[in-house]
Formats: sequence, C-alpha cells, structure tokens
Amino acid sequence: MTKDGDRERELKNSRGILAPELTRMRSNVYQIDLSKGEIKSFDTPLEIVRSYLGGRGLNMYYLYKYLKPKIDPLSPDNVLIFGTGLLTGSGLPNSGRFNISAKSPESSVLGDSNCGGFFGPELRFAGVDRLIITGRAEKPTYVYVEDGNIELREAGRYWGLNTLEVQKSLREDLGRDIQIACIGQAGENLVRFANIINGVKNAAGRGGLGAVMGSKNLKAVVARGNLGVPIAHPEQFVEKVREIRDYLTSSKIVQTLGRVGTPLLYEVSNHLGAIRTNNSQLNAFEDTLDAEVVHQYVEKMLSCYACVVHCRHRNYGGEGPEYTTTVLLGANVGISDTQQMVELNNLCNDLGMDVSSTGTIIAWAIELFQKGYLNRKSAGRELEFGDYEMVRSLMTDISRRTGLGDVLAESTRAVKHFGEETKDFLIAVKGLPQSDPHDCRYLKSFALGIAVASRGADHLRNRPTLDIMDLPPELMKKIYGVPIDNNPTSYRTKEHMVYFHENIYSIIDSLGICKFVCHGFNSPRLLGYKHFSDLIKVATDLDFTRKDFEEIAQRIVDLERMINNREGITRKDDTLPRRYFDEPMKLRLGKGHRIDREKFQEMLSGYYRLRGWDENGSPSPERVRQLESLYG
Amino acid sequence: MAKKVYASFRLCTGCELCSSACSVMNFGLNNPRRSGITIKRDLFERYEVQHICRHCEEPPCVEACISGAMIKNTENGLVEHDEAKCVGCWSCMMVCPYDAIVQIRLEAEDRIVAFKCDGCPERDTPACVEVCPTEALVYQ
Repeated sequence: MTKDGDRERELKNSRGILAPELTRMRSNVYQIDLSKGEIKSFDTPLEIVRSYLGGRGLNMYYLYKYLKPKIDPLSPDNVLIFGTGLLTGSGLPNSGRFNISAKSPESSVLGDSNCGGFFGPELRFAGVDRLIITGRAEKPTYVYVEDGNIELREAGRYWGLNTLEVQKSLREDLGRDIQIACIGQAGENLVRFANIINGVKNAAGRGGLGAVMGSKNLKAVVARGNLGVPIAHPEQFVEKVREIRDYLTSSKIVQTLGRVGTPLLYEVSNHLGAIRTNNSQLNAFEDTLDAEVVHQYVEKMLSCYACVVHCRHRNYGGEGPEYTTTVLLGANVGISDTQQMVELNNLCNDLGMDVSSTGTIIAWAIELFQKGYLNRKSAGRELEFGDYEMVRSLMTDISRRTGLGDVLAESTRAVKHFGEETKDFLIAVKGLPQSDPHDCRYLKSFALGIAVASRGADHLRNRPTLDIMDLPPELMKKIYGVPIDNNPTSYRTKEHMVYFHENIYSIIDSLGICKFVCHGFNSPRLLGYKHFSDLIKVATDLDFTRKDFEEIAQRIVDLERMINNREGITRKDDTLPRRYFDEPMKLRLGKGHRIDREKFQEMLSGYYRLRGWDENGSPSPERVRQLESLYG
Repeated sequence: MAKKVYASFRLCTGCELCSSACSVMNFGLNNPRRSGITIKRDLFERYEVQHICRHCEEPPCVEACISGAMIKNTENGLVEHDEAKCVGCWSCMMVCPYDAIVQIRLEAEDRIVAFKCDGCPERDTPACVEVCPTEALVYQ
C-alpha cells in the first residue's frame, strides 16, 4: 500500500473484469446529519487505520473527536457510529462482526456494542465502512445504503413495529436481499437498555444504543451491497480459510460451542456456585437450565457470516438462548422452567431490549418488593421470583413505558425513584447492569475485569478466566509474560490477566472477528496476534507485528478511558456492586467467598500502574496530548 | 461418472464461506452474491439452502441459451459458460430448475452477464467444498 492508501491496485483476478474502483483497500466514512438531512463522505487516512484498525478502534477515534462531553445521550448531539472492522466481510473465518458506539443513555459513559449476524458484512459489500450519525430526524426515518449511495427515507409505516415485524415489512417492501439493523418498541420509547437488532436475535445489546436510535427518530439502517470487499491476495484465500477452519474445528471448545452454544457454561458455573440467582441473593440454581435440557428446544444450530463455529440456536419460535439469557431471564428472576425461559428470551429480542439489563433490573425490582421498597400498589402487582407471567408482563410494560415499567425503563437511574439505599442491591458498575451471569465473588480476576471495563459491568471487554483452568504455570507465564497465581481466589497478579485480555479483545473487536475463535476467551489456544497478522496480510496486504497490535490496543483502551474521564469517571467508579464486597456467597464451591475491599484496591492500583494511568485512573497529560496529536 | 458437488441443506448453517471462497477466487473480491454457489437464507422463514449448478446430463440452460455462451463439455461433463458470448437474455436463469445462475455486473465492461459454478476444473476439489465447515457440501 502507498502512504495515502489510495493507490489503485493491480488487477489480480484471472478474469480481469473488475473496475479499479472496487479493488482499493480503503476505509470510508459517511457522516449523516439527520437534522439537516445532509450526508458527507471522506476516507480515513491510512495512518489512522494503522493506528486503530477499524471496528471498535476507529469508532473510538471518531467518538472522541465528535462527541462533546456531558451532552444528554438522548439529545440530537449524541454521535451514533456504525463501524465495520478491518476484516469484516472479508470472508475470512468469523469475519462477520461490527461495532455500534455512542454515549450510553443507560450509563452516561461510553456506549459500545459488538454485534454478529450479517449486517456488518452487508454494509461493507455496499461500499460503506462506517456511518457517523448525528442530529434528530423530524419524522420517523430509516437510512438506506446501497453501493455507496445513502438515502434518508420515511419510516412512518414501520414505527410501532417490533424487531421481527419491522424487518419482515422492510423485506416485503424492498426485497429479501437486504440486511437490517433496527429497533423495536423499546428503542422507540427510549428504554435506556433498548438494543439494536439484526435478524432474529443478533444484537448490539449493551448500553441502550437502541434508545439513541429512537431519540434520533431512526427506526432502521438498511444495507444492500452488490460491490464487495477487495482481497489483496486472492490466490492465498482458500488455503488460508481451510487452514484456519481446520485449526479451529479441531478444538474441543469450538466443537462443543457448535453443538450446544454458550449454555455449555451453565453447568460448570453452577457447579462452582457462580450463577447469579434471585438478584445475587443466591449463587446457584436448578439444573433445568443445563445446556442439554435447553437443547431440547433447539431445532438447528446456525452461523453468523463466515463462521466456522455455528453457536447460534434456532429454537421453536425464535433464536437463542445464550448462556447469559439462561441465567438473567432464568435463575436471576427465579424461572426454572426451561420453556418459560426460552419464551422470555424470544420476547425480549422481539421487543428490542438487552437481556442482561432486563434480567438484572427486573430481579432488582423483585428484591426491592421483598424488602418493602415497592408494594402491591406502587408496583401494580405482586413481584415474586419465579413468577413467569409477572416477568413477561413487566417486560412488555418496560418496552411500552407503562406503570412500573416506565420507572424500570430508566435502568440504574431508577435509584433516584426508589431511594439511594436501593443501590446497595443493584448489580451494576458505572450505571450499567452486569452482563455476564457470573457471580464474581469467587473469581477475583473476573471481579477486577468488570470493575474496570470501559462500558460498565461487562465481561466482553476482558473476561479473564484462564486461572480457573489450572493450566501449567509455564504456559500461563508464556501467555501473560509474567508468572500468574493460578489460585482463582487469590488477588495477586490478576491485573496482568485483565490487562492482557483487555488488549487482545480490543484488537478482536477492531478487526470485526468473533471472540469465540480467539485466544483467551474460552481457551488458551485459538487465534492470536500471529494469526491476526496473517489474516490481515491476505485481506489487505498491510503488515502488523505483535508489538503493533499491543500499541494499538493500548491506544484504544486509553482513548476509551479518556472518553470516560471526560464524562467524570474516576477511581471511585472502578468498583463493584456492594453485595460482592459485603455478603459472602452462600452455596457450593463459592461458599464464604466475597471481595475484600482493601485487596481489591491493591489490585486496582496494580492495574492502573500497568496501564500507565495515575492513582485516580487517568492517562497522563503527555499520553492525552500524544493521542490527540493523531487528529492533526 | 464425473464427480459432482452435492449439498445437504440440513447440515448448512448458513455461513456463506462457500460463496465467499468462490467470489474471491473468481473476482479477487468478496461478495457472496458474486458466486457460483449462493445460500438462499431466510432467518425469518427459517431456512438456508445451497443453490449450485448440478451440471445436468441434459442441461436446460444450454438448450435455452440463445448466444451459444452456455455449453455442455462432453469431455469433463461440466456445463460451461462463456461470459464473452453472454448477451444477458436470462433464458438460462429462467429455465434452471435449481436456481443456480446469478447475474453479475462486469464493471470494466459496464454490462451484466449470467454467472454460475464452473466446477473448479483447475482444482482437485472445488473451493466451496474445501472451505465448508460442516460437510454440508461434498464432492464425489
């Protein structure tokens, strides 16, 4: 590649039939101002692609640039970015993912959500790498993207439809060969944990980005792509896909994921006593939500685009459930009936709400009812764990913002309504309810991970769990670069784990590939930096070394922290739900375990030191200047 | 009998790696639409089915072709399509019982032609079969 990234590539394909326009590697951006109806486009300079890759990385680059600090996330000022990764849609294994980013209306800090399915690749096939959307449309609108052309179209007739209905209607009107990212009623009604859905269940789930779309009067983004993603070395493509496919599918964890999906984790977590149950008042639940039982409701396993794992379930009436749902809409709200849990999963997706927040907030409300903060009159009904009909009707009420649903739709902000002391029972960090079903009181590395995660209590920013696998010490040292204390309840050396996982995940999210095939998520094997280099080389001819990736990861994590610092995040916010500190777990292996406040603070300081942040959790002024200098 | 690609829709998880491999190999860029094998997938209607040329013994597309672009190679058994001769009448698409022929735009020539599986005559195993992760495609 030349330095401006704009050189027309020599035609390499044997047919010689492609116009040069289609064969350039570039990263283009379309800026849409919905208030003015204006659309502009420009290319991301190659130097910036080298610095942030794409996906989450480039989204952060532009979010830091365009997002004004302290704005109301539901105002026209919020900046909503749809960004594909450097490898998204390349056709290389598991290259189906993209990121949506904005300021979160749920947490008021960074909102960033990674999503699978087929939408991200289609956006690239349509010749668009990134959409930056600001303003607010006067009337319900959808964005239509086809082959580098973008139109704002009237969406009045789709307003009020759930996520399934709107996609079916758009496909009837426009043809079936489109991909859609849309919101349901929850997004329209500004539920602060509304998600953005593509297909039946692929969600940009976390942080309430669906409410950002709703606030902009934006019902959907529709893509149809007849162009394509240029591949620098087509002659190596088939061999590389086959090699990676063989490597991945020989892995036991990939095989198991492909057979039953993420619910495989339920049994092992339950054995450990790490299943969030009844709003974390308990830590283990019934075996009716084990993967093998859940699988009785599954018709077929499906893939996202270019995926060799196929961990998605087509159930009898929808898609899912993931492990997260089995617990958050099962154990956490006391539902042990497998079919009821699957029904709640399907409803939550149709309404367009994040299952993690929905299950956490409803479980919190039930406990508040138990403790007398809510009563029959104020809640409009009895709230009890295990009451399927109640949970179902409450979910619908939240999506419509009626009755108690209107208060719970405010997510963690409902503390203002119920009283400050109710925060003590809320399983959230930085205003974001915890995503993962994992009760963190046992596994200390995991606890540090959700405390520092840049979007709030979330496992997909780092998820350090290898210390529970009892791997050989030399292997742990090889992975993390330092010896790691293999005792999962120890507080020592865990900052190194969080640091490493945070770095590699930020790269994975920026490439647009899936964490399930990558090193460190569920396995000490699978794809790592060396594989990433090879894949990028085949697709783009760009060269990256391990050192390059580590520097890029540090840039991304630092920039995310700078965004959060601007919103007022400091050390005091890098903490855990009170319950994790003060109440020991009651059941199974985890019995008696909790997080020690003092030792937690030591872990946190160690993490800051590794990141080069000060004791208050801020990158140095020099580092801030250095990253800001990239804006030219 | 010459080997053929056989597809099982039950084993297909809809990943489109097959289409992508075909697209990259033929065009140097990836778009599953520009491929000799396409996955008709509908998450809402709940199916995914591979559409690929069966290289029929008596191909209706060859019969229907008005320009001589589509021919049956009697030596290797493959149904071959010469894009240079294609006039874009779509007769082949209309008669194909397997919906295995697509339209593609030749940007450099600014025209649209029919495109289908050529059987990967230069490879031991067709690219789509090589990359399929679930053995939903076999070559025998």
